[in-house]
Amino acid sequence: MSYSTFNRKKFDSMKEPMFFGENVNVARYDQQKHPIFEKLIEKQLSFFWRPEEVDLSNDRKDFQRLEEHEQHIFLSNLKYQTLLDSVQGRSPNVALLPIVSLPELETWIETWSFSETIHSRSYTHIIRNIVNDPTLIFDDIVTNEEITKRADSVSKYYDNLIEMVNLYNTMGFGTFNVPGKGDVEITMPKLKKALYLTVASVNVLEAVRFYVSFACSFGFAERTLMEGNAKIIKLIARDEALHLTGTQHMMNLMASGKDDPEMAIIAEECKDDVRNIFIEAAEQEKEWATYLFKDGSMIGLNAQILGQYVEYITNVRMQAVGLDTHFETKHNPIPWINAWLVSDNVQVAPQEAEISSYLVGQTDNSLDDSDFDDFDL
Amino acid sequence: MTLTSKQDISQKKEQMHRVLLGKKQILVTEDEPLLVQLERAGIHVEYQCREGYCSSCSIKLLWGNVSYPFEPLAWVQSGYLLACCAIVKSDIEIQFL
Ligand code: FES
Ligand SMILES: [Fe+2]
Ligand SMILES: [Fe+2]
Repeated sequence: MSYSTFNRKKFDSMKEPMFFGENVNVARYDQQKHPIFEKLIEKQLSFFWRPEEVDLSNDRKDFQRLEEHEQHIFLSNLKYQTLLDSVQGRSPNVALLPIVSLPELETWIETWSFSETIHSRSYTHIIRNIVNDPTLIFDDIVTNEEITKRADSVSKYYDNLIEMVNLYNTMGFGTFNVPGKGDVEITMPKLKKALYLTVASVNVLEAVRFYVSFACSFGFAERTLMEGNAKIIKLIARDEALHLTGTQHMMNLMASGKDDPEMAIIAEECKDDVRNIFIEAAEQEKEWATYLFKDGSMIGLNAQILGQYVEYITNVRMQAVGLDTHFETKHNPIPWINAWLVSDNVQVAPQEAEISSYLVGQTDNSLDDSDFDDFDL
Repeated sequence: MTLTSKQDISQKKEQMHRVLLGKKQILVTEDEPLLVQLERAGIHVEYQCREGYCSSCSIKLLWGNVSYPFEPLAWVQSGYLLACCAIVKSDIEIQFL
């Protein structure tokens, strides 16, 4: 019941479920119940990068030359991503660490959250480079209605789980009156349901919500604008692709019943809820695209194309967690985005030469237009 | 040298498999993952990492066998394959989302 930072019980952590078993005591990685989380940790560590390695001096000039509606697109996306990573930099730790029961999963959660703090730091790096007063941008995140609407959706499942786990850790099972909220019933199935829905909503956050913003960043870069930003977004996208695999594994392990039989029943019960989380997020992202382009589109991208992309990527992500796809869109309307989303060490994209420059420091930030002749939008 | 390359060719021939995709039929070898061979045949496949960790290249496997030289980090749903790292081991039929 109550959380201990070093559980004194002797137990076999190989027999614990992922969550709501014993609190982890010894951080050991020589044996793992689910080796996938150890592999994710190693992969994430191999991805380590620092935003300061990316030279943004050209982005400052580019930004000043953008049309006003393009600046709106660029800044709004930055604000939205800042919100998402602010949430992700803390919430897996706050919500999941008190209830995790496997050392490899505990450390994956910490490693995952840590990488989100790099993302947050990179937004400060970007914003500092393009505007004189970053405070104006950061302050707007908590007041801009379009952003705060989304803040509610991405934090509500986390907040609910955190509140329930707090009650459980202090009071145990039962029905408790929470001021301003009324009666909250704490049972193990209810806790597990709150957890399952949280993991699903985090999967949607990382697997769907980021992608409109990614597409815009790469859309600018295809026109050789804001290329430093695109390099950073590429690194963020690589991390996010790993994070979404983490939550897909958690959801699929839960649904399989192999980790915790009771969780399989809950996953089955929650199927429609999870479908709705995906669909609702997709609709919100389509609205977001409309908001971005309210004063004008950018070359190669508009609200309709981005809407189709959201539907397409949502289908891909739903299938990955064993759900039937929801949207009619069967094709990626912006296939060029994949060349930007691919890992650095895999040779596909025409911009390969340019991308690798971040590795050797801040050297080559002045390619001329002819280097990008191969691009088609 | 000539001898070796002849051997290569005959070996490759033995490893050719048919991939059925709707009304299309693509011949593939066991030398490379399915994704690159589909791309070479002019078929667009969704991808992201091309390293087996993001599951974006997941395709329905209706029948037939594939194998993975390295266990992918992404979860592979039963009845699906990950095109970026799957080696086709028999004639197969696949279907996109
Ligand atoms: S492209 Fe990422 S798993 Fe295949
Ligand atoms: Fe992130
Ligand atoms: Fe993430």
